[in-house]
Amino acid sequence: MLARVANNLFWMGRYIERSEHIARYLNVNYFSSLDAPNELSQSRQFVLRSFLFMIGEPEIDPEKVLEEEKVLFNIGLDPDSYYSIINNVKAARENANGARDLISTELYEAINKFYHFVLNYNPEYFVKKGLYDYSMNVMERTAILRGKIRGTLLHDEVYSIIMLGVNIERATQIIRIINAKYHDALLAQGSYGDKMGNSFEWSTLLKCAESYDMMRRFYRKTPNIICTLEFLVLNGTCPRSVMNSMNQVSKHLHELDLDKNPKKNSSAFLAGKLRSEIEFMNVEDIEQDVKLFIQRILEQLYNISKRMEEEFFKY
Amino acid sequence: MKTDPTNSLFSSYPQKTELFDEVFEKDGSTKAIYEKLLCLYGEHSIMDYVNLNNKAKSSFFNQGITFQVYDKEKTQEKIFPFDLFPRIIDTDEWDIIESGAIQRSRALNLFLQDIYHDKKIIKDKVVPLELLSSSANYLHQMMDVNPPGGIYNHISGTDIIKHSDGNYYVLEDNIRCPSGVSYVICNRTALKRALFGVFNHYNAYTVTDYAENLLQILESVKPHGVDNPNCVVITPGMFNSAYYEHSYLAKAMGVELVEGRDLFVENNFVYMKTINGPEKVDVIYRRIDDAFLDPLEFRPDSTLGVPGLFAAYQKGNVCLANAPGTGVADDKAVYTYMPDIIKYYLGEDPILNNVHTYHCSRPNELKYVLENVDKLVVKPVDEAGGYGISIGNKLSKAEIKQVQEQVKKEPRKYVAQSILSLSVHPTYIDEKESFEQRHIDLRTFTLLGKDSEFVLRGGLTRVALQEGNLIVNSSQGGGSKDTWVLKKDE
Repeated sequence: MLARVANNLFWMGRYIERSEHIARYLNVNYFSSLDAPNELSQSRQFVLRSFLFMIGEPEIDPEKVLEEEKVLFNIGLDPDSYYSIINNVKAARENANGARDLISTELYEAINKFYHFVLNYNPEYFVKKGLYDYSMNVMERTAILRGKIRGTLLHDEVYSIIMLGVNIERATQIIRIINAKYHDALLAQGSYGDKMGNSFEWSTLLKCAESYDMMRRFYRKTPNIICTLEFLVLNGTCPRSVMNSMNQVSKHLHELDLDKNPKKNSSAFLAGKLRSEIEFMNVEDIEQDVKLFIQRILEQLYNISKRMEEEFFKY
Repeated sequence: MKTDPTNSLFSSYPQKTELFDEVFEKDGSTKAIYEKLLCLYGEHSIMDYVNLNNKAKSSFFNQGITFQVYDKEKTQEKIFPFDLFPRIIDTDEWDIIESGAIQRSRALNLFLQDIYHDKKIIKDKVVPLELLSSSANYLHQMMDVNPPGGIYNHISGTDIIKHSDGNYYVLEDNIRCPSGVSYVICNRTALKRALFGVFNHYNAYTVTDYAENLLQILESVKPHGVDNPNCVVITPGMFNSAYYEHSYLAKAMGVELVEGRDLFVENNFVYMKTINGPEKVDVIYRRIDDAFLDPLEFRPDSTLGVPGLFAAYQKGNVCLANAPGTGVADDKAVYTYMPDIIKYYLGEDPILNNVHTYHCSRPNELKYVLENVDKLVVKPVDEAGGYGISIGNKLSKAEIKQVQEQVKKEPRKYVAQSILSLSVHPTYIDEKESFEQRHIDLRTFTLLGKDSEFVLRGGLTRVALQEGNLIVNSSQGGGSKDTWVLKKDE
């Protein structure tokens, strides 16, 4: 496969995954805040600040009053903000265009329809009434894309490259979401017992990762900080966990045959290292210093992606 | 059979009897070959049809088979206009078209071979030397180059019309990078999705075998000493208006779609940059123009091409399809000599008619042209895409004068032909929500390989969507129709 096209496929996977996580973050936080158990979690300003924190543009001025419609437009449909959902979908489609001869007509058609959906979504309607409809649609369409990727492509190197992009992005987004919700939990602590550990925000966090129900099934209890982090980072059976994503990354690097005698600091080496670290990590290690853990793991994910670009995608 | 007056789709069809209608006789009755089709379409009301038409459009749109229109505020995506009422060509007529297209392609190949080697045809005074010496598309770099397999024009697009006398005429040959074949296949797909029922009633050839034949042709012209050739399609990139076609062909053949920046040349061999390192490339179906192929040999400012590609080609290490320099043979001046060229190389009479052409470079013909601009089509010899054409009976006095002066200034630049009356076909017109007569032509696609040839049984029927307009190019607002070539009844 051409290096340039591999780069396109990798980023197509990343952008699809990214748009989904942003959409779900908006959806879950906005609607769960409406009946949140404490005043702060219910406040609009709290939710809007959480949005901005998650996409990486936190509002620093604590006094500033954010306008809901502006923030929603900015993250959902603003073509001039690089992190907006619409720009992620555009970028996904552009990358699909660059690899159009390798992907199936069905996958391309689904991406193309997705693109036209966000492109034609009425911004006015979106900021006033459309948040639920728009974010649900984005989530459903990304699910369709995942189905088309898995169900209509050859499971060869094309598939592996896309899945590398998807899983690196998923691990990154899950960590970013944990970061944002940890930040929220520090601000809006629970009302009884261990205030931080039992915050309402852990449930929201799990829902942001589409993992709430399965977490309940696995632990049979109300989420607290320990089991939430354990589930989302270390549990290999949870499809959204960092562990699972890194297992997938290692698997696809192996399938690409790029992990034979991995050289020191090659992407296969770095990915293998991170995977092993997580495999033999305790949740207590994380909980001791969550911020530090988040920072380190984001750095490692960034380095793996960067090494991949240097190793395979150079043209 | 008389058309049923209750047939709502065609009941108000305004038929001008002076035009050659491919579906209806002059008395309004239906031609035999279309009878079944008309009955089937008759089952639909105009509203049904509008619905189907919209569905077909969104199918094109969703598949991203679109081109970009740039205006001040933002770029818009548009689909190529497509008509759901197909054109049918019967077996006997098709045999003529097919054998005629092959004959022309073979003659053009021999002509190219000759003019880039011994130039016998000029020495024998069949065509004048100026034909080459004054052509911007003659590449001196191609002199004495032997393309693998001896083929220059692997892919030819021949534009053919049906004249009011019922005969087919060739309008022009396109042997640089003829495009449009992907639309043949898309049109068929869209029609099948919308009106699957009609296909059961006709026995038409498939058009989906084009890609496999193209791959066979490309593999047949592999460089010497290569067992399993590595073929690729090279595109200028995704902002090119034909990018969909390039990606379609690469996908359908199962080969890589590359850009110039994906390739490099080392020791006169061509490689592509893959995730596993360099991989040798043997055959390149190129969809970039000669001038941009190689900045070392042609336009130095080209960023689309590959430095050193032409040297690798000259050494015979890579095959380019079509060969560089084919443009010299498909310009409108060479066209006028085609009957002589066919006879000279093949010893055969042309199967397909040429439109009689006046050369403005010849003084007595120039005189005739200047006196009869109002009765002629005057065209520049080296423009593609329907630009710069003037159609005599559509011109005002002042415009006629303008054309006369242009031609006088540069006679070599112009040829003139009698105005042909292109056949018309019932075409659905959106704004009017009804069918009307529109002029059509046919682009056929002919493949030439080492000891093999193939003509796509179908081709692209192009429609001039403006009433009375004769120019069908998509760059001039043309639409297209699915084209069915019928199998012989057994």
